[in-house]
Amino acid sequence: MTISPAGTEHVVAGLHRPVRRRPRLTSVRVTMLLLVTPSAFLLLLITAYPLGYAAFQSVHDGTLITGGSYVGLSNYGNTLTSAAFWDAAKFTVVFTVVGVFGSWLVGLGLALLLRSKFPGRGLFKVLLLLPWVVPVVVSATSMNYLVATSSSPMPKLFHALGLGSPLFLADPTWAQVTVCVYKVWVSFPFMMLMVSAALSSIDETVYEAARVDGASSWQQFTGISLPMIARSTYISWILMTIFCVNDFPTIYLLTGGGPESSTTPLVVLAYRTVFQDFQVGPGVAIAFVMTLILVVVSTLLYRQIRKATYQ
Amino acid sequence: MTAVDERVLAASSGSAPLRANRMRPRRQWWRFAAALGITAIAMIPVAVVVYLSLRPGTGSTSTATITFENFTNVFQATQTLTWLRNSLMVTLGTVVVSVAVAAPAGYVLSRGRGRTVSGYSLLLFVVQSLPVITSVIPLFIVFAKLGLVDSLLGLGIVYVGVSMSVATWMMAAYMDSVPLSLEQAAWIDGASVFGSFLRIVLPNSLPGVLSTAIFTFLVSWNDYLVAIVFIRTNTAFTLPLGLESFFQQNVTDWGSVMAIAVVMTAPPVIVFGTLHRFFSVGGIGGALAGQ
Amino acid sequence: MAKNQGLGHVGVSRRGFLGLAGGVAGAAAVSPLLAACSSGAATGSGPLKFWDMPWGGTAYSPAAKRLTEAYQPATGLPTAQYQQIQWANFTQTFSAAVASNTGPAVSTGGGFQAFQFASEGAIAYADHLIDTFKKDGTYDDFLPGTIEAMKTEKGYAAVPWAIDIRVWWYRKSVMDQVGVEPPTTWPELLSTGKKLAAQGYYGFAAGAGAGQPIGGQQMLMMMVNNGGGIFNAGGELDLLNDRNIEAMEFVRELVSNKIIDPRAVGYTIDNVNSQWKNKKFVMGIDTPGLDSILGDTSGDLLVMKPLAGPHGDKACLTFINNIMMYSNTPSQEGSEAFLTYYVKNMKTYWQQNLVPGLPTLKSIVALPEFQKQKNKVDVIQDWQPIGKSFAAQATELTPALAKIDSGQAISSFAQTMFAGRTDAKAALRTFQDALSALIK
Repeated sequence: MTISPAGTEHVVAGLHRPVRRRPRLTSVRVTMLLLVTPSAFLLLLITAYPLGYAAFQSVHDGTLITGGSYVGLSNYGNTLTSAAFWDAAKFTVVFTVVGVFGSWLVGLGLALLLRSKFPGRGLFKVLLLLPWVVPVVVSATSMNYLVATSSSPMPKLFHALGLGSPLFLADPTWAQVTVCVYKVWVSFPFMMLMVSAALSSIDETVYEAARVDGASSWQQFTGISLPMIARSTYISWILMTIFCVNDFPTIYLLTGGGPESSTTPLVVLAYRTVFQDFQVGPGVAIAFVMTLILVVVSTLLYRQIRKATYQ
Repeated sequence: MTAVDERVLAASSGSAPLRANRMRPRRQWWRFAAALGITAIAMIPVAVVVYLSLRPGTGSTSTATITFENFTNVFQATQTLTWLRNSLMVTLGTVVVSVAVAAPAGYVLSRGRGRTVSGYSLLLFVVQSLPVITSVIPLFIVFAKLGLVDSLLGLGIVYVGVSMSVATWMMAAYMDSVPLSLEQAAWIDGASVFGSFLRIVLPNSLPGVLSTAIFTFLVSWNDYLVAIVFIRTNTAFTLPLGLESFFQQNVTDWGSVMAIAVVMTAPPVIVFGTLHRFFSVGGIGGALAGQ
Repeated sequence: MAKNQGLGHVGVSRRGFLGLAGGVAGAAAVSPLLAACSSGAATGSGPLKFWDMPWGGTAYSPAAKRLTEAYQPATGLPTAQYQQIQWANFTQTFSAAVASNTGPAVSTGGGFQAFQFASEGAIAYADHLIDTFKKDGTYDDFLPGTIEAMKTEKGYAAVPWAIDIRVWWYRKSVMDQVGVEPPTTWPELLSTGKKLAAQGYYGFAAGAGAGQPIGGQQMLMMMVNNGGGIFNAGGELDLLNDRNIEAMEFVRELVSNKIIDPRAVGYTIDNVNSQWKNKKFVMGIDTPGLDSILGDTSGDLLVMKPLAGPHGDKACLTFINNIMMYSNTPSQEGSEAFLTYYVKNMKTYWQQNLVPGLPTLKSIVALPEFQKQKNKVDVIQDWQPIGKSFAAQATELTPALAKIDSGQAISSFAQTMFAGRTDAKAALRTFQDALSALIK
C-alpha cells in the first residue's frame, strides 16, 4: 500500500508516482465512477427504499400495512427504557462474543491441525465444512433431536456419565449454552477457511529462520503466525460479528427466543415485536438501534484492520 | 514483494510452504486421530439429518429401519427437480452478476483514495447491518412496482443486492494484495486504469473471485426468508421453499424435509470439494505476503 | 491516509450522492401511506386470487386447488385462481402483498388475521353475503355461534369454514395398564396424574418451545375451564381474577407433582407429538386432529368428556378458521359468488378426511363419512357447545387478539408456568403488564 505525501492530489493509489506515462486524472475518475456505478445502483435499489421505509416506520405508530401517525422519537425512547431491550442486548453481546471467539478458536485449532499433510486431510476439510452448508432450518431440527426430550441422545449421555440430566432447551441458562454451542458449530467452518487461507500464505522461510534462532512451537505461533494473520483475523471477526448480531434463524428455529426470553437477542426481539406483537414502530426502532451499535463496533474493528495493514 | 504468480500458487496448493517440512509418521498419525475425532463429533448433527432422511416418513407403511422411499417420494411426488433447477439458476445467476459487479467496485475500494471511497466503504457496512428480516416487506413493495415478484429474476436481484456489501469487501481485500507495481508497469506501457484492472488485477485475483463466488453461492442457495415472501408459484420455488412446503399446520413431514435437505447439501459440497483450496475470504493471507 | 480529494470530485459528490439516496428514501417513505390509501380503491381485472394455507396433510392442497378450479362463475364474474401460502412467515407474505396491492381477493389465514386486516381497512366486510346466506337458508346450516363470532363493530370480518378447538385426550392402553379411569374433575385429574407420574408418564401433555403456540392455549384453556380468561365480560384485561389465580395455582401443583414434563418448556410441536407417540404423554390438551396427526387412529387415543373445574365450570377454547374477502378485488360480487360456491362445496374436505379441523356446517357433520370418525363426533357433541373464544370472558373478537395470540407475552407466560418457579399471581401480573403494554 502506498501512503501519499500530504497534500498530493491523487485519486488512485500509485498514480502520483513519477512515471513517464500515466492515465490522465479526469479519465481515471470517470473510469472509477463507472466501475463503482453498478454496485452503487444495486445497493440503492435494494437498500434505499427499505431503509427509508424503516426510518419512517420507526417514528410512526403504524401497522405492517398502514402508515400511522407521527410519534417523534417515542418508539426509540420506549425501546431504550424497556427491560426487554436491555436483556436482549446483553444476550446479543454474550451470543456474539461466544459466537465470534468460540468459532474462531475452533477454526484456528482445526486450521493448524489440518496444515500439514496426512492421510484423508482433504476429506476432513470438506466434511468439516458441512455445518456451514447444511440449511439452518434442517440443522436446528437435528439439534432439537439431539437434546430436546429425555429420550434424546444428549440427555441420555449426560445421565450415563453421571452428569445429571440438564434441561438443554427448558432451562434458561442451559438454553443459552445450547444456542451458543450451536452457533459455534454452524460458524467454525467459516473461521477455519479464513485462518487456513491466511496461514497458507505465510512464507515457510520465516519459520525456518525462527527455528534456527531456537524459537519453540508456541513462540513461533505467537510470534509469527498470529501477527501475520492479524489482518485476516480482524476481518473475520468483523464479518462474524455482523453474522452473529444479524443471525435470526439459528436462534429462532432452535429455541424461538425462550424459555422466558432468555435466548432472545436484539434481532429476534425486533422480529417478534414487529411480526408477533405487531408493534411495528418499536420493533423497527430496535432494529435501528441494533444497526447503530453494529456500525460502531464494526468501525472500531475496521480501524484495527487499517492499523494491521500499515504495520 | 512476493511475485503474484507464486502467491496464487501458494494459495492454490494450500500447504505449499510446508512441503519442505517433512513430518514424522508418528506425528502424522496423531494429527489424523485428532482430526478424525473432531470431525466425528462435528458430524453428529449432519449424521442425524442423513439418518432421518433414511427413516420411513410420516404416513409411511414401511417397517424397514432404513429406506430410500423419502428420496423416491420427493423426486416422484413433488417438483424437486424443478426446484433444484430453479435454485441452480438463481444461484448461478447471482454468483455471476455478484462477481461482475463486486469486482470493479472492489477495485475502486482497493485502489481509490479519499474520503468518498472511505465513506462508500462504510456505507456498505451500514446498509449490510440492517437485518433482512425487517426489510422484506418494503423490498417486496419496490419489486412489486417493478413487476419483479414471484419471479426468479427478482429474487436473484435481491440476492445480488444483499450480498453486495460483503462481496465488494472481499474483492477489495483481495485486490489489496495485488502489487501496485504490476499495474504501474502496465500504465507505463500505455494501459488505461480500466485496462490494468481487467488485464492485471482481475486475473491475479482469481482466488478472491472464487471466494466471493462461494460466499454469494451460499447466501442465495440457503435463503428462505426472502424467497418465502417473494415466490408464490410452486414451479418457481427454490429448494428451501420446497423444503418449507412440507411443514403443515400441526405436523411436519420430516422424512421429506430431511431428504430435500440432503439433496440441497449436495451441490455446495461438490462446489466446496472442487474449489476449497482456492477459498479464502478476501485472500487476506495473500495480502500480507504481498506487503 | 492523507487528506486528499477522491472520487468525490468526480461527477457526483459524496454529499450529492447521499442526498440523492436520501431523496429517494424520503419519497419512498411516503409511499406506504399512499399504498395504504389507494388499496381500497384499486381494482384490477383478471381472475380472483384465492390464497389458502396448508390446512391438512399433503393431500389437502391438491384437493383445495381442484375445488377452486372447478368453480364456474356466472356470466360476467371472474374465475378463481388457487394459491397455496406456506405457514413459515405468512404474516410477512400477506402484509407485503396487501401493502403492495398484489394481495388476494379472498383468503383463508392464520389466527385473527381477518380482524387485524379489517382494522387496517383491507377487508371487505361480509355483511351482504351473510344477508344472502340468511335468505337462502345457508345461515341456518352453520353451527350456532360460529358466524356470530366473526362479528365486529363494523360488520362481519369473515365467514367461518372450520372449527379449531382444544380438547382433552388420553391414551387408553396406558391408562388401563396403570389402572386409572379418565378423570372428570380437576381433583381427579391431579390424583390420576400422580398415579401416572409414579410410573414415569405425564398426565398433562405440554409444550412451549420454538414456534409452539399450544402452551399458551393450554394455559388459557385452564383459565377458561375455571370460568376465567384474559378479559372480563366488559372486554377489559382481567388476568388477576380469582379464577385465573386458582387455575394457575393448580397448574403449579401439576408441575410440582411431575405431572408436567420438566422439558416441556423447550418442546416444539414435533417434540410434543413424539412424546404422545412414544406413550410418554398420556393425557393432555390438544387439537381435534391429534389422532390423525400422530397416525394413530386405532382407537387407543380417545377424547375425554369435559373436565369440571373446582367450581363445576366446564369450558374449552375454540378458534374459528375463516375465509376473508379483501377490498382490493377485481369484483366484490365475484368474491362473494366464489365464497358462496366454496362454502357450499367444501364438504369434500371432510368426505375425504383431509383436514384435522371440524366442520362449521351441520350438513357436513351429518355426512356419513364424518359420523364414522368417533373422536370428532365426540368433540362436536361434548366440546363444541361449551367452547369459548380466545377473548373469553368477553364476547367480541377484536384486532388486539392477533397481538395476544401470536405475541411474545403468552408464550413467555406459558414457559413461566411450565417452569414452575414463579407463583401464580406474580406470573399473571407479568402477563397482564405485558399485554396492557401491547394493546394500549
